[in-house]
Amino acid sequence: MSLPEPFFDYEACLIACSRGEQQALRDLYEQESARLLGVAKRIVRDEALAEDIVHDAFIKIWTRAGSFDPARGSARGWIFSVTRHLALNFRRDSAREVHVSEQQETALHDLASLEASQDSVDSFDYRSRSGRIYKCLEQLEPVRRNCILHAYVDGYSHSDISQKLGTPLGTVKAWIKRSLVALRECMG
Amino acid sequence: MTLSPEDDSSDKIQALAGEYVLGTLSAEQRIDVQKRLGQDTELRAAVDAWEQRLLPLTELAEPQTPTALLWKRIERSVKFLEPRAPKEVASEQPIAWWNLLSLWRGLAGAGLIATLLLGSMLLTQTAQVSPTSYLVVLVAPQNQAPGWVVQASNTREIQLMPLGVAQVPTDKALQFWTKADGWQSPVSLGLVKPGQTLSIPLDKLPPLEPNQLFELTLENPNGSPTGKPTGPIQFIGRAVKVI
Repeated sequence: MSLPEPFFDYEACLIACSRGEQQALRDLYEQESARLLGVAKRIVRDEALAEDIVHDAFIKIWTRAGSFDPARGSARGWIFSVTRHLALNFRRDSAREVHVSEQQETALHDLASLEASQDSVDSFDYRSRSGRIYKCLEQLEPVRRNCILHAYVDGYSHSDISQKLGTPLGTVKAWIKRSLVALRECMG
Repeated sequence: MTLSPEDDSSDKIQALAGEYVLGTLSAEQRIDVQKRLGQDTELRAAVDAWEQRLLPLTELAEPQTPTALLWKRIERSVKFLEPRAPKEVASEQPIAWWNLLSLWRGLAGAGLIATLLLGSMLLTQTAQVSPTSYLVVLVAPQNQAPGWVVQASNTREIQLMPLGVAQVPTDKALQFWTKADGWQSPVSLGLVKPGQTLSIPLDKLPPLEPNQLFELTLENPNGSPTGKPTGPIQFIGRAVKVI
């Protein structure tokens, strides 16, 4: 996987977008669309839907570029946040409408139990990564670390995680709450 | 451990912000947070900080090349929006100068000036240079003319030195400000007379950082009434770390 181009000027692209320069949007697209699509697809779990999310994200980037405030965070972070939150909004909104057939449910349950037995093992290849967040994640118990990663990367809700791990909902909520406090203390 | 109500509410905001960014809130809770972000600056700051903390985890999702159709769809939607989109962001409220990107771009040359000035200072001064020092050249935003130099040979005290005598209207004063990248807004370092050299202890501020902003604005004789810069910028620059 290629790393973000260090000299790619995300801020300049957003300023140009706010001036109405379409080439800047195209540049951002060339630079990040594959990564953004990857992020959206993990959350909405469907390729066509993920493309819809990335489409909407780029329209939002285009129309809202002028509201980007560098005092609040990086320009690259902003376009990822825009995309992730569109995907999360979609997934949480549609969660209420999803009807899982009985057969699927059984299959999901079997899968969940299988995965639960493995969940003291890491579900994510995070060790090869460098960065403060990974050092801090390492200090969490594997099962709690998996909760955080499944939530952030896979867009799992508390109850998704509870089902996946076969752990009571209240326990999952408490784990996540405490893990977030620990991460904040660790990262500052 | 007992917590004051303030700590308690700040912990609650942190928890809410953390779960919002993590993604575990329900649809209703998400809508509620998104509505509050417009006005609630504490919640917004907490969300921003969580976004930055967790952003690297996006790399755990494998990138996926979009179909060729996706860009075409985006392009078509943008064209459809074109007549009204980009201009409408111009707001009625003036944008705070420290958020003006164009200003920072305009200042790119100041780094070069800093390098040149430092070089000449090193040649003309035999005084020892401590391991970490910072230099800032404050330039006029309109024409990039250097007007002041800030020198910090340690992170606890800085010197503001004039390169000339700035012109200041008699009913106005120059006020000196600084802001590091992570700070919410600039902090006043006091009033300065044109041509005056000032030594300023920074003991109430965090240590200096690379890229930290310094600037002089034109304010009322007793300084800005709001505690934040209100008048036009006269000189501005960012700290460059020198070895």
